[in-house]
Amino acid sequence: MVPLTAIDKADTGWVMVASALVLLMTLPGIALFYAGLVRRKNVVNTMVAVFAVACVVTLTWFGLGYSLAFTADSPWLGNLGRAWFASLHFDGRRSVISVSHLAPHLPEAAYALFQAAFAIITTSLIVGAVVERMRFAALLVFAALWSVVVYAPVAHWVWESGGWLNQLGALDFAGGAVVHVNAGVAALVCAFMMGRRRGYGTEPFEPHSLGWTAMGTALLLFGWFGFNAGSALSADGRAALAFVVTLVAASAAGLAWMGVEWLVRGAPTLLGLLSGMVGGLVAITPAAGFVQVGSAVWIGLIAGAVCFWGATWLKRRLGADDSLDVFGVHGVGGIAGSILTAVFADPLIAGTGATVLNQLIAVAAVAAYSAAATAGVLVLIRLLMPLRVDAVQEMEGLDISLHLERQH
Amino acid sequence: MEDSERVAVAAHLHVVLRRKTGRVTDTEWMACNQAYAQAMVAFALEHAREQQDEELARLARRLQDSWSGDKPRHVAPAETAQSDSSVTTKAAEILRTSARYIGGLR
Repeated sequence: MVPLTAIDKADTGWVMVASALVLLMTLPGIALFYAGLVRRKNVVNTMVAVFAVACVVTLTWFGLGYSLAFTADSPWLGNLGRAWFASLHFDGRRSVISVSHLAPHLPEAAYALFQAAFAIITTSLIVGAVVERMRFAALLVFAALWSVVVYAPVAHWVWESGGWLNQLGALDFAGGAVVHVNAGVAALVCAFMMGRRRGYGTEPFEPHSLGWTAMGTALLLFGWFGFNAGSALSADGRAALAFVVTLVAASAAGLAWMGVEWLVRGAPTLLGLLSGMVGGLVAITPAAGFVQVGSAVWIGLIAGAVCFWGATWLKRRLGADDSLDVFGVHGVGGIAGSILTAVFADPLIAGTGATVLNQLIAVAAVAAYSAAATAGVLVLIRLLMPLRVDAVQEMEGLDISLHLERQH
Repeated sequence: MEDSERVAVAAHLHVVLRRKTGRVTDTEWMACNQAYAQAMVAFALEHAREQQDEELARLARRLQDSWSGDKPRHVAPAETAQSDSSVTTKAAEILRTSARYIGGLR
């Protein structure tokens, strides 16, 4: 607890705005992005899934996740000292307020909220791999368990000052590994364990609305300014730099993907441009607070091409039905961005650089844990209920079969 | 019925099914796989019965007849000739745009 006068109001204002921006990335950014890509008969289910996951993770985060992630107990996991909504004390009578040791200039409520938005979007990203076939109840249970068992420990390793990857010196400014590699690998595991959608590989699965996906991408871009610049936890020059490199990397990556697609397939596509932009945003995420603007161009160009490869050639080689290419864009983009952070990090910015080896260790550790723990969560759920809807429900569409609603 | 004509009929049914029921079908597969085509015909006829949709029923029967070798029923020759040429163009467009979504979005 600290006196109210110890709180920096400008930084607090910025972090609260950034929290709202990150939440906007999920609601409705991811909701629109994903709902535009599924078939028309599954649009409502996709949106319900994203909104419901956000609600579930909000409660699990403030109930358990925040405490496990951001208390300094061990290099592997925090304690329960901040669990059950115990972290947000405001005592107006004594003019004191609780703060996190990681951000003593902010009210802990603001810091915990900012981190909640990250937990929400990370879990929501996985929805993209299981759409059009996962049972809704199973998804809700998955979200609750995954956010606590998988996301919280990984966040602890990387962002808690005593976390083992943090101590190793791995750099991850805003979540290249914690969010994107983590969610991407989890999505791939889910896709393998769920099995393919009926008709995959023989029937065309036409997107419901690329216009929705474009609007979702625009909201993702807008919110990503909060995601990256907000991770500076301060309204200062480093946040402004992170703000700029975010836009630059997204633009470079969008053009890179579009250019590669134009060469390989003969035409640029809207989905390609949008996917490239998202790939660039993913790749700049770990690097946003450590690189100069010129480096962001290179990160974006490389990420655009690499994510195109990840969502096309690599996807087909892996053989899993990762419905909306979560691994191809977020997983591959996160891995590329994490490694490129070491290549392009400028010690002048934050007084530190990183080695490619440390970044590789971080990526490998997060990927391995995410894969194993996600598989464990799915196995546990499968003991309680089926993961997939039945064949009739899948063919009829999840909107009608699970929600008795239809998008017109 | 020649293959190209069956593709044209399948493409026309694809367009109408998508517009009226939201169902997206594999046009090329409808034209070369009888079992799949029969399944889509059954789906279309059921929907046509529920919604009293003459156009959908007519197209479904045309596709069905294209497989049985029977002449199409309840279609005026002049109307068929005019609609088939535009349907062939439409079929090519649909095949070009839909096929890219087989096995992946990107």
